[in-house]
Amino acid sequence: MHDVKTDAALDSAWSGGASPFAMGSKKLGMWLFIVSDTLTFSALLITYTYSRITNPDWPKPFPMNPAIIFSTTMTVVLLASSLTMVMAVMAAQRNDRKKTVLWMIATMAGGLTFMALHLREWFHLFEEGATITHNPWGTPLFGAVFFGVTGMHMTHVLIGVIYLGIVATGYGRGKFSAEDVEVNGLYWHFVDLVWMFVFPLVYLMSVKY
Amino acid sequence: MVTHENGGGHGHHQAPTGFIRKYVFSIDHKVIGIQYLCLALFSVFVGMALSALMRLHLGWPNAHWSIFKGGLMTPEQYLALMTMHGTIMVFMVLTTAPQSGFGNYFLPIQIGAADMAFPVLNMLSFWTTMVSLLVMIAAFFVAGGAPIGGWTSYPPLSALGEMAGPGQGAGETLWIIGLAIFCGASLMGALNFITTLIDLRAKGMTLGRLPLTCWTWFVTAILGLLAFGVLLAACILLLLDRVAGTSFFIPGGLVITDQVITWHKGGSPLLWQHLFWFFGHPEVYIAILPGMGVASHLLSTFSRKPVFGYRAMVGAICGIGFLGFCVWGHHMFISGMSPYSAFAFSILTMTIGVPSAIKTFNWLGTLWGGKITFNCAMLFALGFVSLFVSGGLSGLFLAQPALDLYLHDGYFVVAHFHLIMGVAAIFGMFAGLYFWFPKMFGRFLNEGIGKLHFWLTFIGVYAIFMPMHFLGLAGHPRRYFDTTAVEFLQKLQPVHVFISIAAFITIGAQLIFLFNFFYSLYAGKECKEENPWHATTLEWSIPTPPPFDNFAGVEPVVYHGPYEFSVPGAADDYIPQHLAPNLVKKA
Amino acid sequence: MNDHAHAEEAHAGASVGTNLAIWIGLVAITGLEVFLAYEELQPTLMLTILIGLSLVKAAMIMSYFMHLKFERFSLVLWLVPAMIFCIAMMMIFFFTEAYWGMGLRPH
Ligand code: HEM
Ligand SMILES: [Cu+2]
Repeated sequence: MHDVKTDAALDSAWSGGASPFAMGSKKLGMWLFIVSDTLTFSALLITYTYSRITNPDWPKPFPMNPAIIFSTTMTVVLLASSLTMVMAVMAAQRNDRKKTVLWMIATMAGGLTFMALHLREWFHLFEEGATITHNPWGTPLFGAVFFGVTGMHMTHVLIGVIYLGIVATGYGRGKFSAEDVEVNGLYWHFVDLVWMFVFPLVYLMSVKY
Repeated sequence: MVTHENGGGHGHHQAPTGFIRKYVFSIDHKVIGIQYLCLALFSVFVGMALSALMRLHLGWPNAHWSIFKGGLMTPEQYLALMTMHGTIMVFMVLTTAPQSGFGNYFLPIQIGAADMAFPVLNMLSFWTTMVSLLVMIAAFFVAGGAPIGGWTSYPPLSALGEMAGPGQGAGETLWIIGLAIFCGASLMGALNFITTLIDLRAKGMTLGRLPLTCWTWFVTAILGLLAFGVLLAACILLLLDRVAGTSFFIPGGLVITDQVITWHKGGSPLLWQHLFWFFGHPEVYIAILPGMGVASHLLSTFSRKPVFGYRAMVGAICGIGFLGFCVWGHHMFISGMSPYSAFAFSILTMTIGVPSAIKTFNWLGTLWGGKITFNCAMLFALGFVSLFVSGGLSGLFLAQPALDLYLHDGYFVVAHFHLIMGVAAIFGMFAGLYFWFPKMFGRFLNEGIGKLHFWLTFIGVYAIFMPMHFLGLAGHPRRYFDTTAVEFLQKLQPVHVFISIAAFITIGAQLIFLFNFFYSLYAGKECKEENPWHATTLEWSIPTPPPFDNFAGVEPVVYHGPYEFSVPGAADDYIPQHLAPNLVKKA
Repeated sequence: MNDHAHAEEAHAGASVGTNLAIWIGLVAITGLEVFLAYEELQPTLMLTILIGLSLVKAAMIMSYFMHLKFERFSLVLWLVPAMIFCIAMMMIFFFTEAYWGMGLRPH
């Protein structure tokens, strides 16, 4: 009486003994982390919007030239680093260790360039008198949100660069697998994806005309 | 097989030998589970000691006690005790023990895995939790002492620093940092649990054959994954308000103790309430869901009957998890919220009554006509059901905005959440401990002492928390230090005395438990059998105590549902999940 | 499912050309966004369009760069709805309350 039920049950993707998504656990783990981190960033961006709704004197301080052009460049750099990461993952899947490491170094370079540009932008704002607590244009929450959100994103970029460094070294020495590179890639693309929301909300919605 | 190359694959790692690798930085889920339980046991006694001091004061507000400087407790000391009591109990006991403690130990075994999916991450999440506990406890020892803002830490007073009171300086900063670290630890734990359950189930362990304990650990982990991310953001923002001088949660024009605050403006304290309760309501289900799983499991095992309506139970667990994200506004009815939102939150909150009632009736249905054994584990499971019902009913009162305007922030709320979250969840843990102790340590907890412990605790907690409903109805606000200074509260003082005495007796009963725990650990009745309770799930198919890799490198195969008790036509009144169909003895 | 089958599945993915096309698309959408900002649209309208475009970009990154298009669809069903639901709940109630609170302020 049980056999029929048992056989049917053992056939489906969810019947145990294998991953129902046909993928390694590490990848699933990273996806779950990304879900949680998405909510952290969402909460930050929702805080931004909430603050903007409740503060009608929200400033719009970024001129098209140079601020917007500059931040657009940053966006393109970060996007480019995602493309190099895609190349690294593809190389890793072909078992081409050398190319993988090179593409990963290119990705790190992209990340570091993004950070350097971003810090320049920060210092530019400091010069204009805008800090996390004060700014010359309107509600002090503007600086809090700007530096809070971009700072949190930059922390993620920094962690990403370090993570890339560790995985690239380990993979080059044969300690890590192609899957590790792929999982690393998931994280990196996620950091890029978050910026796709930060950039329009923080910069493009605050253009000075 | 892909899954098995990752971390917790079957029979991959070898038992470590050194003391440190074996007991301190262990990656064995069973050791980590016990570590979590020890952390929770330590925390629960700290939390209880704090509550004893509070009850001492509330019962006899003007008596002199030599433990306090000058013989009397100060209001700030009272608030610090209350804050730390709440925080330690909610985060370090109710969130760790049922999920990370028992879940870590038994989830992999019940699904037939050799370990968690990420054993090293598992170790990290325990030690991160430990760091978070130490950081929070450190708040007692810094200048100004522990924070006084309550476990919900509402701004603006929690965001302004020292000027808002002693404890709101360094103590509050440590509190927030500790909480942020705890978010990280819970996140690691949650993603490990989810991955383990999805990827490492043994062959034949379909979702429909998962023990309900596993279902609740699974849904709890999902709640944790989604909720702690939001709390982390809130903690970061509050920390920025405190240390970087931002004003996310601080409005302009505040006057604190005659001082006008000019350096903050534009923020909204209500934003913190939204963020906190968006996490906070799922959190209360994080605390209770594993208890529900244990209760279902034990009611079935000890009435020798399948769980009544297994599918409905699973549906209710998922429904509760889903609705848990839709109701946070019921903590904010008096915040001046829009009546339309309040209406929506009220309806959604009452909707949770539906899955809760499904669970309750199915528990009763499971018991109906069963051959019930009243051992300690079963008594605590029954106690859980009783407390869940008592506490849940008062929730329905609080869910009406019109009633809540009066009851909010009063003792009625204190009674509600202690019965349902505090005590019910703890009963779930006790039930689990009496049930699994023999498997974990190879000895039984003493039944005689256990029954004494049960009855004292059961009567004790009702004696403590039932009268609080009446205090609340009489208008007694919560978190009040001096109940004798207000005229209408003076008349309620005898109730406080009664509650305090009941509390001391109940706390004493926990010492009986502590004695039983250590006594039985070393001298309890030995359990050499694999399956002393004649239970069905996989943890009872392996030696007692379980070997390092659980199934000795053999992958178990599952053929049966989790609760096949008293199956017609079978010789025994239980069919273990792993028993091949041709081996089931016919009557 | 045997190891071989899995190896094939894991390696399946877009070609370099497709990924490059996706990338160019992402840059183009970014350019469009900046152009819209330059055009000084009415803020609510602009916010709506920007969020819409960002969601499109996110979908492109997730499907191709992050391989979600090539994983089993059940994975998408496990990950995405829960996330979207939480975000939607926050947005619905937080913003309602923000506007409501503004209405209560003395004028
Ligand atoms: C039928 C189910 C439930 C309903 C309708 C309900 C309703 C409520 C409401 C309306 C409040 C807010 C009262 C106020 O602050 O004025 C509340 C508070 C609370 N509930 Fe429940 N609840 C239910 C189940 C639970 C469960 C299962 C738990 C925990 C396991 C729980 C834990 C809490 C806690 C901790 C608080 C107070 C938090 C605080 O202010 O410190 N509730 N409940
Ligand atoms: Cu609630």
